[in-house]
Amino acid sequence: METIWLYQFRLIVIGDSTVGKSCLIRRFTEGRFAQVSDPTVGVDFFSRLVEIEPGKRIKLQIWDTAGQERFRSITRAYYRNSVGGLLLFDITNRRSFQNVHNWLEEAQSHVQPHSIVFLLVGHKCDLEAQRQVTQQEAEKLAGAYGMRYVETSARDAINVEKAFVDLTRDIFELVRSGDIKIQDGWEGVKSGFVPNTVHSSEEVTKGGRQCFC
Amino acid sequence: MAAPSLVLYIDRSLFARRVKDNRSVEQRDPGWKLFGKVPPREGPVKDPKRIQKEYETKSGRAGPGNPTSPRQSVRKNLDFEPLSTTALILEDRPANLPAKPAEEAQKHRQQYEEMVAQAKKRELKDAQKKKKQLEDRCKLEDSIGSAAQTWNQEILPNWSTMCTSRRVRDLWWQGIPPSVRGKVWSLAVGNDLNITHELYSICLARAKEKWKTTPAPSSETETEDAGSSDRESSLELIKLDISRTFPQLCIFQQGGPYHDVLHSILGAYTCYRPDVGYVQGMSFIAAVLILNLDTADAFIAFANLLNKPCQMAFFRVDHSLMLTYFAAFEVFFEENLPKLFAHFKKNNLTPDIYLIDWIFTLYSKSLPLDLACRVWDVFCRDGEEFLFRTALGLLRLYQDVLTCMDFIHMAQFLTRLPDLIPAEQLFQHIAAVHMTSRNRKWGQVLQALQKDQERGSPVLKR
Repeated sequence: METIWLYQFRLIVIGDSTVGKSCLIRRFTEGRFAQVSDPTVGVDFFSRLVEIEPGKRIKLQIWDTAGQERFRSITRAYYRNSVGGLLLFDITNRRSFQNVHNWLEEAQSHVQPHSIVFLLVGHKCDLEAQRQVTQQEAEKLAGAYGMRYVETSARDAINVEKAFVDLTRDIFELVRSGDIKIQDGWEGVKSGFVPNTVHSSEEVTKGGRQCFC
Repeated sequence: MAAPSLVLYIDRSLFARRVKDNRSVEQRDPGWKLFGKVPPREGPVKDPKRIQKEYETKSGRAGPGNPTSPRQSVRKNLDFEPLSTTALILEDRPANLPAKPAEEAQKHRQQYEEMVAQAKKRELKDAQKKKKQLEDRCKLEDSIGSAAQTWNQEILPNWSTMCTSRRVRDLWWQGIPPSVRGKVWSLAVGNDLNITHELYSICLARAKEKWKTTPAPSSETETEDAGSSDRESSLELIKLDISRTFPQLCIFQQGGPYHDVLHSILGAYTCYRPDVGYVQGMSFIAAVLILNLDTADAFIAFANLLNKPCQMAFFRVDHSLMLTYFAAFEVFFEENLPKLFAHFKKNNLTPDIYLIDWIFTLYSKSLPLDLACRVWDVFCRDGEEFLFRTALGLLRLYQDVLTCMDFIHMAQFLTRLPDLIPAEQLFQHIAAVHMTSRNRKWGQVLQALQKDQERGSPVLKR
C-alpha cells in the first residue's frame, strides 16, 4: 500500500554539469552522500514524501537532469510538466553562478503557459575555502528574480532538508491559495485523492468483445 | 574422483547394519534411561533435535573408550570423523553412573549412524554440486576456448566471406569470446573514416597542446564569452567525467592504469570532431572499447562507432531525429508488447525517459559490464536496430513487474535496472522480439517516419 499523500509535486533539478545535482537529491532521498556517482545522461528519477504540516504529506517526484549544455534540448521538454525547480550552482565555481540567468531564461521560455517556482541553491557550501561566489551576491541575484536562496552541502548534510521542504511549502501555499491549479494533462501537481477506479483494460475488453461473439 | 560409487557403498553398508541392529534391539530388555523410562520397543524414528539435545547434555562426561566400543567400529566403517559432541555419545558412561543398558546403547548407536549417514549424504551432495559447478565452469571455459579457436583460426582469417554466414552469425549471438572480442568489434564496426594510427597521434598531440594552454578550471581567469564556454569546458568536463566512468572498477580514475588512455581518446576525439565535441555518455563507450582494444584501435573504433547515423543523431542531440527514433521504437513496442505499451501510454511514460541513457551509453552504464558487452557483440553484427531490440527485450523480461507500477516506479526501475539480470533469459526475450511491423523492417519504419517528419507531421511533436 502506498502511503496516503495530499498532493504530488513534480520538481526538476537543473544547473551546470558537476555542480552536484544528483548528490544533493541522493542526500535528500536516500540520506547518504555518494562518494562516487556517474554522470547523469538524460534524466534520473527520485521520489520522497515530505510532511509539511502534521498529517499533511506531499509526495515529491524529483527529475534529475543532465547538466551538460548539449542535453538542454532534451531537458527543456521536461520543464512544462514541473511545478517547482531547484536551480543549482556550485559556490566554488563562478561560471556555474554566471550561468544561472541562462538557466532561468531557458526555463521561462519553455514552461509556458505554466510557471515554475524556483529556488536558487548555492551548493557545496562545505568547501568554504574555495568559495568563489559570496552569499550576498547570490542573495541579490535570487532577490532580483523573486526566488529564495539557500546554501547547501550534500557532503555535510547542510540545509538539504530545508531546501526541499521550503520549496514544497511555497508551492503548497500557492496551491492552497489557488494561484496554482491542478489541470488535466499537466503533471506538475496531482491530487492524492484520485480513487483507483475501473481498469481501462477491463473497459476495453468489455467493449471489444461484443461484436465478435 | 569416484563419488557416485562411494555413495552407493556407504548406503549399502549402512542399510545392512541397520537391519542387523534392529534385530538386536528386539532381543534386548528395556532398561534404565537418563531421561526417564522409555517403553521397550520405541520406534527408531525420533526427533533429531531431541537426540542432539540428549547428546549434548552428555558431552564432556565421556569415559575412556574401550577397544570394542561401537564408536571405533563406526569409525572404521565410515572412515569419517564425526563432530566432537556426537562422538562422545557412543562412549560408555562414567563409572559413577549406572551403565547404559545394551538396548539403549544399541539405539543410540543406530540413531547416531543415521545422523552420520545424513550428514555424509549432505556433504556428498554439496561436493557433487560443487563438482558440477566446477565442471560447468570448465565446460564454459572449454567452450569459450574452442570458440576462441574457431574465431581465431577459421573466421577471422576469412572475415569478408564468413562474417555473414549462418554459422558465424549463430556463434556471434552466443557472445564473442573476450580474447577476440575487440578484434571482431573492430572488423564489424569497420573504418569508413579511414583513420590511421598517425591521424590518432596528430589529434592527440593537438589535444595535449590545448590542455596546456587552457587554464586550470578552478582559477579566477574565466572570461570567455558564453558562446565558446561549452566547447572550451568540454576539455574540462572530460577531466571531471573520467573519474566518474565506471568508478567501481577503479581503473579509469586518477592514478588508475587506464586514466590517461581514456583521457587521450576523448581529448583526441574533440580535436578530430570539434563539431561534435565531448558529450556525456561518450566516456563510457570509450572505456568499454579501451577494455577490449589497444589505444589507437580503440580510438578508430570509437570514432567510427559514433559516426553511425543513430549515434550521430544522439550525440549531436538532433532532437527531431531522436524523436523519430523514439517513434520507430514505439511502433515495434506496440506491436510486440501491446499491453505494456498501453500501460506506458496511460502513465505518460515516454521512451525518451529510459532510452536516452541506454542509447547514449550503449547500455554500458545500465547493464552489468559483461552483459553490456554481449549486447555490443550483436549490436556490432546487427547495427542500431539491435539497440532498440534490446530495449524491447528488457521491457519484455520485466513486463510483469512493470505493469504493476506507476509512473515514478517505472521510471526509476528503467533508469536503474536490477543489479542481477539473467543473461540467458534476457537474450531469450530479445530473441523473441519481432523486428517487423506490417512486413516492414526497422529501417523501413524509420525511413517512413523520417519522411513524415520532413513533411512536418504533427505526430512527432510533443
